[in-house]
Amino acid sequence: MLETPYVTSYLTEHFGEADYPSIEGYERVGGYQAARKALREMSPEDVIELVKTAGLQGRGGAGFSAGMKWSFMPKDDERPKYLVCNADESEPGSYKDRILLERGAHQMLEGILIAAWATGASVTFIYIRGEYAFPADQVERAVAEAYAKGYLGDNVMGTGFHHDVRVTRGAGAYICGEETGLLESLEGKKGQPRKKPPFPAEYGAFGMPTTVNNVETFSHVPHIVEKGADWFRSFGTEKSPGTTIFGVSGHVVRPGLYELPLGTPLSEIVFEHAGGVPGGRKVKGVIPGGMSMPILPAGQLDVPMANEFLREQKTMLGTGGVMVMDETTCMVRVASVISYFFRDESCGQCTQCREGTGWMNKIVDRIERGAGEDEDLEVLLDVAGKMEAKTICAFADAAAWPIQGLLRHFRDDFVEHVRQQKCPFPESFEL
Amino acid sequence: MPTITIDGREIEAAEGRTILQALDDAGLLMNGVDVPHYCWHPKLSIDGSCRLCQVEVEGIPKLQIACDTPVRDGMVVHTQNERVKEAREGVMELLLINHPLDCPICDQAGECKLQDYSFDFGVKESRSKEPRRALKKNVDLGPTIVFDQERCILCRRCVRFCREIPKTGELSIFNRGDHSVIETFPGTPLDNDYSMNVSDICPVGALTTKDFRFKIRVWFLEDVPGICTGCSNGCNIHLGVANNKVYRYLPRRNDAVNDTWICDAGRMSYSEIAAPNRLRECEVRNDSGQLEPVGLDRAIEVAADRLRRLIEAKGAGVIAGLASAHASNEDLFTFKRFLAALGSETFGVAVVRGKADDLLIKAEKASNATGAREIGFGDARTVVDRITSGAVDAVIALGHDVLQEGLLDNEEPLANLDTVILLDTQASEMQRVANVIVPVRHAAEKLGNFVNEARRVQRAVPAVESNWEAYSDGEVIAKLGAALGLEGFDGSYDARQVARDLAAAIPAFAGIDLDSVGDEGRVLAGSAASGTER
Repeated sequence: MLETPYVTSYLTEHFGEADYPSIEGYERVGGYQAARKALREMSPEDVIELVKTAGLQGRGGAGFSAGMKWSFMPKDDERPKYLVCNADESEPGSYKDRILLERGAHQMLEGILIAAWATGASVTFIYIRGEYAFPADQVERAVAEAYAKGYLGDNVMGTGFHHDVRVTRGAGAYICGEETGLLESLEGKKGQPRKKPPFPAEYGAFGMPTTVNNVETFSHVPHIVEKGADWFRSFGTEKSPGTTIFGVSGHVVRPGLYELPLGTPLSEIVFEHAGGVPGGRKVKGVIPGGMSMPILPAGQLDVPMANEFLREQKTMLGTGGVMVMDETTCMVRVASVISYFFRDESCGQCTQCREGTGWMNKIVDRIERGAGEDEDLEVLLDVAGKMEAKTICAFADAAAWPIQGLLRHFRDDFVEHVRQQKCPFPESFEL
Repeated sequence: MPTITIDGREIEAAEGRTILQALDDAGLLMNGVDVPHYCWHPKLSIDGSCRLCQVEVEGIPKLQIACDTPVRDGMVVHTQNERVKEAREGVMELLLINHPLDCPICDQAGECKLQDYSFDFGVKESRSKEPRRALKKNVDLGPTIVFDQERCILCRRCVRFCREIPKTGELSIFNRGDHSVIETFPGTPLDNDYSMNVSDICPVGALTTKDFRFKIRVWFLEDVPGICTGCSNGCNIHLGVANNKVYRYLPRRNDAVNDTWICDAGRMSYSEIAAPNRLRECEVRNDSGQLEPVGLDRAIEVAADRLRRLIEAKGAGVIAGLASAHASNEDLFTFKRFLAALGSETFGVAVVRGKADDLLIKAEKASNATGAREIGFGDARTVVDRITSGAVDAVIALGHDVLQEGLLDNEEPLANLDTVILLDTQASEMQRVANVIVPVRHAAEKLGNFVNEARRVQRAVPAVESNWEAYSDGEVIAKLGAALGLEGFDGSYDARQVARDLAAAIPAFAGIDLDSVGDEGRVLAGSAASGTER
């Protein structure tokens, strides 16, 4: 089981309490009151409007407005509507959803219930990555408790609203975290993203109108309903309100989870909260939001951790997985690890992604081996460019961006490898 | 109907079509407007994965794949600008980094879309220094197809074909990323009635048929448009011809008949053309009961003598005609005219039946059963009944289809007849009871029209010449008619003229002759579905 976050806020404040994962413990601190309020006192439109006003951004990586996404669900449609909770947390460097599942399953379920009310969904599928066995057990237990209490099933909380929750475990593919890849996998097919349109709101799980939201996105919702949009907006920045859970890893004194307002400077997270680099060494670079987000060099760590600021530095918040690398780190090895991951995880449908991820990985590995040539760097950038914005899903972009980021900020590392025909960072982590 | 502008040219598109479909509908795809594509196929679901067909649509920031972008009225599309060309070159370069450079030993060379598009849209040199993917070169997928995994570009046409057309689903993509490979599941080989189509739709040399591979370089082949004669569907084909030999049948697209497909049995029926059991010599039975080879003139003379003797003794009523459902309209119309001039009233057509499905395979295993019936040949059962009851003394048979289960189980009832004149392409038990045997041409060796089950008249043109003296059934009958001195027979035979005569004589054929029928066929008058749509 994970430690509780070092810094907590409304999402995680009770995570240290032993009974909080149970329905009794959750209700003891006021749990399910927001769902009661939404189902009894608010219309679905009111809920959507509230979440829009609060400005809740999806926490799965893309940062799209959650309320807006809910409003895409067709209104006059006879078909059953579905919600999907994306708990396929697979982004290397990201482990925030895990604790939300382990300790806060009822908080997430309450958010799901409110979202179901808002969108008219009759079933929610919670898709949990297969490796998350303990979190999945916790969610299944919480779902059973909610059914026993009458919070799920027929006549939820005596309101006549019907909602079912089904828990599905994934089988270990990164691409199943992409929402349409997830839907394919959920349906028992190979996890390969669908071409869009049609978007899931029109043709989603089993062909029905579907909204897919991340675990954390749902978890914010009860708090917004309970305390209001203005309260929510008192956290974070104007464009990115609320908190998020940063998962800090790598060369820091205190790796772990930190629930902090969006907009917290990256340097504050790395140096104040996580204690900086151990052994007095210097930071070389930091990946701000999980492995698919471009790296930032030591000189750019003052950036506030919100998309409107990170975009100016050509990176994004992603899933809030902060990966810190110290001065011993070989950035070509970093590129090797990253490109291998994406080569291995590409679903293989689109030409650019299937072939490009493999090619990039082979070039990077050759440079690291000491067999790089001058023109390799341009080829690498060119291949990354050919992959960008040309495929069915954003995976190819996610594979291209970090390589582009490494070449943007640490080109010298690559050049030195080629010049010396060996890796000039003997103290770096081993491949 | 939405009007879209592609490279400055206005095109009317049907509602709900995508850009690529609209180009295909207009006959412009790769024929005026070059939008290269691999995964898209007009008769399969849209996959959108090869990403080669990216085009620029004004107003949309990202390039869009033409195969999956629906047309909108007023849409302006650019398929040839720098941005599009660069994206295309990118895809081509990526497809080639792992593709083996084995064109010199690849069967697909010459009709390979990777080769063609590389010349037309690709980059001239590879920047890849990495070793190519090493995979299995010779995978036995089933009874008909061999698979080269290294050549595969993973367009997944074959996978979709198996799922969507025969609905057998034998092929799947295993693994992911650049280690994706197409495989079959253990114990379920690629084995269905349409399996060889995967070789046609494979844009590269990954899927080849065991039958055709290594036989001949495709650039030596001439594609002759024709029709498959294996059943009454009349699938449109290209006969691949070189050295006066048919090397293969490939399906020829006809959306009203066979889309772009052909069944394996039909595809393999090309082997009948040069089969060892083709009849090659005229033969007549001598006084000692032995067949001896003769020239055609002699065979006609003997046949005429025998018939004349019978007519003089008993009248023409004892002569029966067995038409062939394999013969062309022109053959059959000539035969019908011959029987009428002779005064015979006993005639019919025998049609072998077999299994059928709801895709292409029809129960009647002959190409022109419908034509024979339209021209006036009824069920051969009446002929058989008169033979077995002793009312017939002579039979003129086109082919041996009468020897089938339920009609004449064997040739024995014919042994007692005074005269059996057999015009046939292949050896059969009928030879044992025949007095005169004349080899005739296969559909691939003559000009003629055939009527399929849906009453569509379709044309076969001579693709090869038989290496021995052989004529069409109609021509032999015309000679026989002249030898008998029948009215309207002077021994000459011109299939085009016969077709015109047929069109004038039988209302259903009005206006349909060997010229007007065209390469895609025409439906008989009075059909429920006339025109070109199925």
